[in-house]
Amino acid sequence: MIFRIFRKELLDTLRDRRTLMTMLVIPILVFPITLNVFMNISNSFQESASAKIMKIGIAGDKTQSYTQQLEAIPAAVGPKKIIVFKDSAALRTAIESDQIQLGLLIPENVQKLGEQQQTITLNWLLDASEVGRAERAELYAASLKANAEAERLQKLGLRPEQIRPLVVNTVNCASDKKMVGQLAGGFLPYIFIAFGFIGCMYPAIDLFTGEKERGTIETLLTVPVLRWKILLGKMLVVVSSGMVAASCALFGLFISIEFLDLADNKELLEVIHSILTPNFIVSMFALLLPLVIFFAGLMIPIAIYAKSFKEAQSIITPLNILVVLPSMVGFFPGISLDLNTVFIPVINVVLATKALIAGTLTWGYFLSVFGMMCALAVIAIGISYKQFDKEANILN
Amino acid sequence: MIKATQLRKEFELSRQQRKELNTKATRATAVENISFDCQPGRVFSLLGPNGAGKTTTLRMLATILKPSSGSIEIAGIDAVKYPQEARKHIGFLTGSTGLYARLTPIEIIDYFADLYQVSAKEKDERKKYLFDLLNMNEFLHKRMGKLSTGMKQKVSICRTMIHDPSVVIFDEPTSGLDVITAENIIKLIPSCKEQGKTVIFSSHIMSEVDLLCDDLAIVHKGQLKYNGTMPDFRAQMQTSNLTEEFIRIVQTPTL
Repeated sequence: MIFRIFRKELLDTLRDRRTLMTMLVIPILVFPITLNVFMNISNSFQESASAKIMKIGIAGDKTQSYTQQLEAIPAAVGPKKIIVFKDSAALRTAIESDQIQLGLLIPENVQKLGEQQQTITLNWLLDASEVGRAERAELYAASLKANAEAERLQKLGLRPEQIRPLVVNTVNCASDKKMVGQLAGGFLPYIFIAFGFIGCMYPAIDLFTGEKERGTIETLLTVPVLRWKILLGKMLVVVSSGMVAASCALFGLFISIEFLDLADNKELLEVIHSILTPNFIVSMFALLLPLVIFFAGLMIPIAIYAKSFKEAQSIITPLNILVVLPSMVGFFPGISLDLNTVFIPVINVVLATKALIAGTLTWGYFLSVFGMMCALAVIAIGISYKQFDKEANILN
Repeated sequence: MIKATQLRKEFELSRQQRKELNTKATRATAVENISFDCQPGRVFSLLGPNGAGKTTTLRMLATILKPSSGSIEIAGIDAVKYPQEARKHIGFLTGSTGLYARLTPIEIIDYFADLYQVSAKEKDERKKYLFDLLNMNEFLHKRMGKLSTGMKQKVSICRTMIHDPSVVIFDEPTSGLDVITAENIIKLIPSCKEQGKTVIFSSHIMSEVDLLCDDLAIVHKGQLKYNGTMPDFRAQMQTSNLTEEFIRIVQTPTL
């Protein structure tokens, strides 16, 4: 009988456009569309920035040495045009009025400093609020610096190794999987939790408050089916909707990675593929399922208590913020699953998923989080049943 | 049959309700020790003004609400102790009954037949009989939301009768319906009576009562003011018509 109720409620739910949007369409499309738009905009900005001729002003270059060096830098770095200015004031004015994009200020005593083998300080003038200018200035500066160093070493008759006795490298011993887990591990549980919650929201309101509002609950309560069975049949639809929404969001993200070149780094793609094993997916769903049941158990008593769709929505929407905010904990470094966090709902699932991605989740912690969430889910079902059994709640 | 004995229903008042009713009492009594019998093959009418306790009484009979005290027997089953068993014999229809707008009539009827655990063979037979009787075949596959009020009313009737209940409870079944749509219900009640079913319906429309009922009870402020047969009611009338007599009884203080 529970399955019969589930079947009917599912059919009813799947014919509700609002629920379909939040359960299937938005989760699947949100990432491909937003990421595609974001990447296209970002790429077009980069392309137009690199194609734009950078006007470089130079002042104080009496020997034309720096002008020649700048001109010698290959065009692959970006097209440029060099304009010589009489003094620094004119150069600064030109920068401020955007007549030129970069200004190189050569000190007056540059020749003397060179002869005395002193450090020559060059200054780049630029508007740092404009994207790409500081980066271009750094590239040119690196080239000028390399030229100056080579010239001075030649004068001194030295090889580069003679003045660079020690090179210290940092070797990262963490696996790529762990690195991805730490960097992007917060993102995945956040998506799951946010969409799992939103996916539960509309069916919960529609199947409980909506049934009261439309006057169909009274009829349903006259059938020879125990109330807990009716509740469970409906709850299954709410939970399924949450799970489908979360899965669709993950699927959408997967499509973005695979087909929209979100991760156009081959090594990174390989790491992502190595993470997305059947074992990982099963473990993640095992963590998510009791969490979504817990969400449904939080929403259903509210939906049963509320007298109208609007009232239910006005109570559940702020709850959304309360649930989604803790799920952002995964973005913060230094917070990991321990004996304290393992018992905090939502946070424990986020941290466990993060550890799961990084491959550092132990069975002990996995079972603790799973057990904790199952216990909360059972309590939430109990509260829902208590509310559903109250005459005052179900009949308005 | 239906046998209600010393039925009483109390509701807890919320803070807001206490404020609205301007009372400090934490509980309100909706039905106060009501007793009556409804016999198979007869139509029993429960009369009373708005807020008299008719709907609460019928909801208790339909096992939606649990009485605070008293007993209810439905088709020989103690409906307070065994509500699941009793529900198998009850068909319940109200004027405000809603139906699932996104489902079709056939889906709704199948759903309720399954909930009432009607066998596949019986379900097919009942569906055919009721669809033909109510002339529903043309709109069986259209969504409820797109049907007219009359069509919806037919689906409600079909839903109520799909499991062939021996007890039929109608709570103001014609409320809010136009005369033509209400005609479906007016025809249904005598048909149930002919089939030997126990029928109880609440109303405050005296013409309906006059037309349909064999026995009647009048309730006011949760208390029973009259309980007897229609011929007896007519015989002891002190006014010239049913409506005036109903008002007289309701306004007479209880001794």
